[in-house]
Amino acid sequence: MREENSVLWKKILGEIETEVSRANFLTLFKSTGLLSLEDGVASVAAPSTMIIDLLQKRFYQIIKKTVDKYTNIDTKIIFVPKNINEKLKENVMGTPLFTQPEEKKKPFVGHLPRVRPDYTFQTLAVSSTNQLAYVSATTVAKKIGTAYNPLFIYGPVGVGKTHLMQAIANEVYANNPDKKIIYITSEEFTNEVVEAIRNNDTARMKRRFRSIDLLIVDDVQFFAGKDRAQEELFHTFNILVDEGAQIVLSSDRPPSEIKKLEKRLSSRFAGGLTVDIEAADFELRCAILLIKAKKYNLDLPIEVAKKIAEKAHDSRELEGLLLKVITITTSHNTQITPDLVEEVLSREGVEEKHFFRPDEIIKNICMFYDLKETLIKGPKRDAHIVKARQIAMYLLKQELSLSYVEIGNILGGRDHTTIMHGVGKIEKLLFNKVFLEEIMGIKSLLKNKANN
Amino acid sequence: MKFSLLSKNLQKKLLFVNHAISTRSQLPILLNFLIEARKGKLSISATDLEIGIIAEIPAKIEEEGAVTVSAKTLTELIGAIPLDKIIFETEKGGLRLTGEKTKATFQVIPTEDFPKLYEDKGKELIILKKETIDKDFSKIVFAASSDSERPALSGILIKEEKEGFLLVATDGYRLSLKRHVLQNTRKNPSDNEKEENAISMIVPSRIIRELVWMGKDSESEEVAVYVSKEKNQIIFSQDDIVLIGRLIEAEFPNFEKIIPTDFSTKTIFERQDLQEAIKAGYVFARQTAGIIKFSVKKNKIIVSANAPSVGEDTIEVDAKTTGEENDIAFNARYLLDFLSNTTGEAMSFEMTGPLNPGVFKEVGDTSFMHLIMPIRVQQESA
Repeated sequence: MREENSVLWKKILGEIETEVSRANFLTLFKSTGLLSLEDGVASVAAPSTMIIDLLQKRFYQIIKKTVDKYTNIDTKIIFVPKNINEKLKENVMGTPLFTQPEEKKKPFVGHLPRVRPDYTFQTLAVSSTNQLAYVSATTVAKKIGTAYNPLFIYGPVGVGKTHLMQAIANEVYANNPDKKIIYITSEEFTNEVVEAIRNNDTARMKRRFRSIDLLIVDDVQFFAGKDRAQEELFHTFNILVDEGAQIVLSSDRPPSEIKKLEKRLSSRFAGGLTVDIEAADFELRCAILLIKAKKYNLDLPIEVAKKIAEKAHDSRELEGLLLKVITITTSHNTQITPDLVEEVLSREGVEEKHFFRPDEIIKNICMFYDLKETLIKGPKRDAHIVKARQIAMYLLKQELSLSYVEIGNILGGRDHTTIMHGVGKIEKLLFNKVFLEEIMGIKSLLKNKANN
Repeated sequence: MKFSLLSKNLQKKLLFVNHAISTRSQLPILLNFLIEARKGKLSISATDLEIGIIAEIPAKIEEEGAVTVSAKTLTELIGAIPLDKIIFETEKGGLRLTGEKTKATFQVIPTEDFPKLYEDKGKELIILKKETIDKDFSKIVFAASSDSERPALSGILIKEEKEGFLLVATDGYRLSLKRHVLQNTRKNPSDNEKEENAISMIVPSRIIRELVWMGKDSESEEVAVYVSKEKNQIIFSQDDIVLIGRLIEAEFPNFEKIIPTDFSTKTIFERQDLQEAIKAGYVFARQTAGIIKFSVKKNKIIVSANAPSVGEDTIEVDAKTTGEENDIAFNARYLLDFLSNTTGEAMSFEMTGPLNPGVFKEVGDTSFMHLIMPIRVQQESA
């Protein structure tokens, strides 16, 4: 049954309900559904031939009249014996007899849903930047629920948060396959909440999340602003902690800095141990490269590793560059040498990122529009000044990924909502070709400056 | 309408037709019997829109006609008056009953509101022997769930296989399975496209229960089964009774995968011995959610139950065990349901561990098995 049909049928039933007796409605109409509505024929499902007989005999006119009203044409109603509710509800799996074999199958170690089996503590490179996180994660994996609860790991992208968390899952699972573990990203969690609400089946979701030993939620910063998901997580959190289950969370920033996160949640997040992972230092990047190379069965000379590590900053970039080097050397069938790597990396045009300072950007914009810097930072709201100012907001956001608050401060203490508005406005204007050229002009001015 | 009949003939049939009346029906017409006197035949029908029953009763018809009367009132009255010849006759605003010494008048509702129970019967698929219904269906149907929230579990899977039919029912806690039923009884055997035309349907357990009932005090030896997939309808028809139901359109759970393929303990015992032991244990078990423990030893099964506030008992049942000794606990209700619905003398019980389902079979019959999910109990020593 298609969505629109079911919506339409609900409306139709709503009208019919007012016209027939309650007994008739409950007995005859309650379990009907609209299967299709095509070419002036509406096929209506009803569970038994007897019900169909009564609908046909006594209510055909009412049904037709109501359907016609909504379709605006002369509709023919046909009835189909079909129980629309039957196919929907199928939770046989909740019963002991049918859940039992699932448990039996589990002991093939290393297969947790959504968890990569190769993300273990053994494959994680440790140095001073992630030492603390590593130690706390291994402790948690050893004594789940008792050591630090919750364990909150934060750090920028590509420093190994996910690896560390999945390693906890794998370790716990390897030690005791009977432990119930859920690894989920905050986005998936939100989706499940939405799904459960839509299917009117929150009870099942609650059962699923509240009867486990270890809950790992990745990237909790994405819960920002998702109130229902936050509420669900809050309750789940409390129940799990009460029952001694372990919770591990990760984010790109500490709990207190996650915006639009309810106070009660962020205080709970911070209630256990909060550890950060810093961006990998040079030595760690080399170590990571060597470990990754091993995974690809490659004997990577340390000199080469150093060369690559100089170029890349996070682990994903490292892996990407490593793959690039591997592909090129195997396709050319040559040895990997530092010189070759150097050549490959430069030829492949690893984009050297320019790091502008905010004032450089503003200076360039002023130059482009022939304005004084103080005007942009000042309170004047002449049209051309506002435009330049908003472009400044946009470029500061886009090029430097500064926060709205920071941009506001740079541009003379403006409110962050002002900045958001400005950035949004420019983004919309980008569809205009002339305007886009203007922006590109400013950008190329910036680039030339940097290269000279 | 006017007809006369023997009230004893009427009484028996009314009690059965009454099964199709649901007291929860909200429509007044569904609380009524439809009485029709046509073409020399008297028939009485009832339906709750889920199932329908039509019974024919020998009667002398003097004037044709139809009427509906309250099922409850008619059944109760017929049960209360002396068994003799009675005459029914419609009169202004009612139906009058006249017996030798009894006179009564019933209020009636026009017949137009009564639903037609079926248009046409559909294709005749199988002829069921009374013996099959008694022996095979009754071993299966009790395991089905009475909970209509889980449609597939409230039905019985009837599936055509190479050697006869397979019957399965489960409520998620226990499962009954019987193979090789109804061999060579298929009406229109489909030799060629066997796979495609093979019957596979889920029939509500309620209608199968009625089917078992129907056979109980009937003389006819055969029941014809008609199925119409388009109408989603199944009809069981014997000489004088037609039973109409619908098919369940859900997907039956994958039962194959939960049937244990191996066991570590197998013990053989007399059905009646175990049944008596469990009945005795149930006296205590009743107090504690019906938990009965089996301790399978080399030459006996120790059946025990205890209720902390009442007491405890242990009963030994002679048995011959192969494999290791083992302990397991079940809900006594499920055990009793199973033992009272089977007829074999010698039975076997197989298990692998206290958390895996126990498997009961009748010795000498490989086509039947019954699985019960054990109850997890705390070890006493712990």
